[in-house]
Amino acid sequence: MDTVAIHPRQRERSAPRVVKRSFQLPRPVRTALVYITLWIAFIWAVFPFYWMIATSIRPKDEIFQRPPSLIPNGATLQNYIDLLVGAQFWRFAMNSLLLTVAVTIISVLISVTAGYAMARHRFKGSVTLPLFMLYGQMFPPVLLLIPFYVQLRFLGWLDSLWGLIPVYLSYMLPLCVWLMRGFFSQVPFSLEDAARMDGCTRWQAFWKVILPMARPGIVAVATWVMIHTWNEFLYASTFILSDTKRTLPLGLSGLIGQYTTDWGVLMAGGVLTAAPILLVFFILQKQLVSGIGGGAVKG
Amino acid sequence: MTKTRAPAGPKLRNTWSQIFETGMGARVYPYLMVLPAVLVVVGVVVYPVISGIMTAFYDVTLRTLNTGTAQFVGFRNFERVFADPVFVLASTNTLIWVVLNVVAQLGLGLALALLLHRAMPGIGFFRSGILVPWVVPSVVAVLTWRWMYDPSVGIANEILLKLGILDRNHPWLGDTATSLYAVTVESIWKGTPFVMLLLLAALQMVPRSILEAASMDGASGWRKLWYVILPQIRVSFAIAAVLTFILTVNNFNAIWLMTEGGPLNSSEILFTLAYKYGFQRFDLGKASAVATMLFVGLVIATTVYLKLIQAKEGD
Amino acid sequence: MNIHRKLITGAAALALGLGVGFSPALADNIVFWINSPLASSPDAPIYAELKAFEAETGHTVELQPVAHMEMERNLTVAMSGGAGPDVMALDIAWVAGLANAGLLMDLTEQTAPLAEGYQKGPLASGRFEQRQYALPLYTNNVALFVNNKMLADAGIDKAPTNWEEFREAAIAMTNAEKGTYGLTFGGSRTGAFQLYSFIWQNGGEVIDDEGKVRVGEPESVEAVEFLSSLYTEHKAMPDSVLTANSWDEVNAPFIQERAGMLVSGDWAIAALKNGNPNLDWSVHPLPVGKQAATVIGGYNLAVNANTSVGDASWQLVEWLTGPRSVELMGKYNRLSAAAGAAAPEAIAALPEEIKPFMEQADAGRARPVVAEWSQIHSEVFGTVWDSVLRGQPVADVMSKADAQTKSIMGQ
Repeated sequence: MDTVAIHPRQRERSAPRVVKRSFQLPRPVRTALVYITLWIAFIWAVFPFYWMIATSIRPKDEIFQRPPSLIPNGATLQNYIDLLVGAQFWRFAMNSLLLTVAVTIISVLISVTAGYAMARHRFKGSVTLPLFMLYGQMFPPVLLLIPFYVQLRFLGWLDSLWGLIPVYLSYMLPLCVWLMRGFFSQVPFSLEDAARMDGCTRWQAFWKVILPMARPGIVAVATWVMIHTWNEFLYASTFILSDTKRTLPLGLSGLIGQYTTDWGVLMAGGVLTAAPILLVFFILQKQLVSGIGGGAVKG
Repeated sequence: MTKTRAPAGPKLRNTWSQIFETGMGARVYPYLMVLPAVLVVVGVVVYPVISGIMTAFYDVTLRTLNTGTAQFVGFRNFERVFADPVFVLASTNTLIWVVLNVVAQLGLGLALALLLHRAMPGIGFFRSGILVPWVVPSVVAVLTWRWMYDPSVGIANEILLKLGILDRNHPWLGDTATSLYAVTVESIWKGTPFVMLLLLAALQMVPRSILEAASMDGASGWRKLWYVILPQIRVSFAIAAVLTFILTVNNFNAIWLMTEGGPLNSSEILFTLAYKYGFQRFDLGKASAVATMLFVGLVIATTVYLKLIQAKEGD
Repeated sequence: MNIHRKLITGAAALALGLGVGFSPALADNIVFWINSPLASSPDAPIYAELKAFEAETGHTVELQPVAHMEMERNLTVAMSGGAGPDVMALDIAWVAGLANAGLLMDLTEQTAPLAEGYQKGPLASGRFEQRQYALPLYTNNVALFVNNKMLADAGIDKAPTNWEEFREAAIAMTNAEKGTYGLTFGGSRTGAFQLYSFIWQNGGEVIDDEGKVRVGEPESVEAVEFLSSLYTEHKAMPDSVLTANSWDEVNAPFIQERAGMLVSGDWAIAALKNGNPNLDWSVHPLPVGKQAATVIGGYNLAVNANTSVGDASWQLVEWLTGPRSVELMGKYNRLSAAAGAAAPEAIAALPEEIKPFMEQADAGRARPVVAEWSQIHSEVFGTVWDSVLRGQPVADVMSKADAQTKSIMGQ
């Protein structure tokens, strides 16, 4: 289905076609251009983060210096020490970690199964259902706070990390399902049919053939859920009350004072909050490359 | 759709999964797969959203909410919102805000995804780096940008001066002409990596055989892109577009923490207006009216868009 | 010891709880929301104070720190959702809105015998429609910070004490070549906050005690004109005034020694010391117009109207805001609002740089305690200040603001 029958005459023609019609730069120049563009994009993306790091290691009296220097003149790790030595940071981090792992695993499980079902089967509602679920995402969350609060209180889920999980799932799932449906619909049916013809059950076909092909999509969705849960602020701040259950973003906002903010510590907090996720992503991004290479169909 | 075949050779295994392969099981199982997702979403979200919409039709203020005296007022909240001169400004700003963000993020996201869709030494490094804006917590990112824009201590002016683009410091967030665009730069910076990630994943899933075939047909770079690659990732692209649209309209932190909609409402969007109605005026009815309008607008826009996409897909 | 303590505590509680009346409960658990800077680490002074309270009364206190950014919203959401803390610390500007919604317990009867123990201005900030809903925990007001070196360089030998001197000093310290300015000021709401002191100093009013709106009166307009002309005509304020909607942004030019004067409160002291330890600065009472006046800020303690532990909550409020607050707030380098803190001995015991704030405490005035204050402050006055800074004629802007305020107040 995906192969192209090559007409005998075309095979002849393809040889003299070495002379390209459109203008193309020589290879090394193209490579250089690619690297230059990559570096520009990189600097654009990373500079504010660099600025955060720079501010967090500046000595306190350099933060308001004018003109601001691109590279800090002094360097001190005091802000990081202050943050890491206090027990609070680790407790917040642990809470965030638990919440994130739980929500990510559950989201991926649910959305992969649901997305697969929607992509593969035309059943009643397979088209309208995803849309319907997405609607819940569209109402400005800030104005949902009071009814949510009432509802959670009624269910007894206030001030609890476990109570937050359904809340997060409710607005992560629609998008995850959407995305997984989209990714699964990119995987050709023929693969699965071929596997089943070879004697696999539907489950095995799914597990051994489809899932690895959809891996980049799953990684993308899992990353999205991870990052949004890790960094989520509004619901956590409204529904988590005790100090012991706070998550990292709440800890960060506590550093922002009414009258003054210790910018060095805040920036250090921001760096420490972002660092674990970056690390995880750096490891995961290799998984973004499709496993089988997508060239599984031959002949 | 797929029926069990009984080939002469190896038989299908007699496992419990056979329940789902035949007859009733085969018809029911897709619903079962979808059920958990639907349950969670509907169970958690339905009450708050309906309550939020209903609030728009009552004269709910903090006072009437807590004394239980809120009365039904029909569309009066909506009328009062329309009569507010700031509403028109906020609507225009929201339009600009959304269009700029969506177009820029989709365009840049696609370009970056194409750029990063190759196996070159160090590509992992670049991919991680370009994803950084997305990973930084929103509150900290916005405050960092605010600090960078600050006329007293900001590095933005400094850099622009050194590059010769400016000849004197400009209060980016304080000038009513530039405040909205300055915030837009930040939100583009923050949101593009996610689009890039989605499209990159989609690109990675394009079967190489299709690309090879296209090359053998003699398609050059541009044509390969337009006629072969893009249609393959069309679904993911549509999803990215819808997501970006929703997230932009509902992006609260960026504008609120940088300018609070100011100065003089020059960067006010409908969402911040709703927030002010609700938490500064304590007029929850009007706040819900704006929120409901946003909601309806988003629902209509995305439904129409997706129906169009599906029609083209012939799905 | 136990029986005696219980008897004494019981008798005291009975005496205090005149309007409430029934016997003190056994150990109650009080949920207490406090702003996070006061509970920033496990060894913050508040914890020790609460332990003393627990030992004394037998109740337990569950302390939940909330960031300032979230406090008002979380209070509103939680209490509207039927929950919320029993005792809460809240910015004095929030009392009116919450009291108007019936969310705060009426403490008038309990506080009547204690009124003498608090400074007048801060106490008034907790009174809404003639009923007392909150007691002051700490108070602050706004004074004048001066860069001694820049002042001397400009040829002025003492800090300005009235409006004329203030304007002269601002203009004198402004030097376009050197890039220095006379005064750093806030923008939007922050600027509006600084504005009120000057309006009152000129004999103007925003909303007077009878509830009448007087925004458009000549005295008020004059005061706004006085300040805005410093920027629009004399360029004595840096461009940051257009954007500075947080205190750090207001402080920045002063810290950088680009501005010679700063109108701010005691909270700026720590920021100045951290930001530029070599800065040679001093604090003075605000310059006097037709009268002395300075705007009061601070935090109050209030009780949730729907609490189930009303007596215990009241005890906690009384404990923390009473005479003990002088020492407690001193540990945080903040000013207690207890009457004892304004006594000369107490002032003498304060660190040098905080003294001027207490010395002008008599001139302190709370902003109008009306339910619509948040809206008036942000929408009306924030816009007023932003508009006049950008060159709109002050008289027009103020008369529009006057009409707007009247319509908000339903007049």
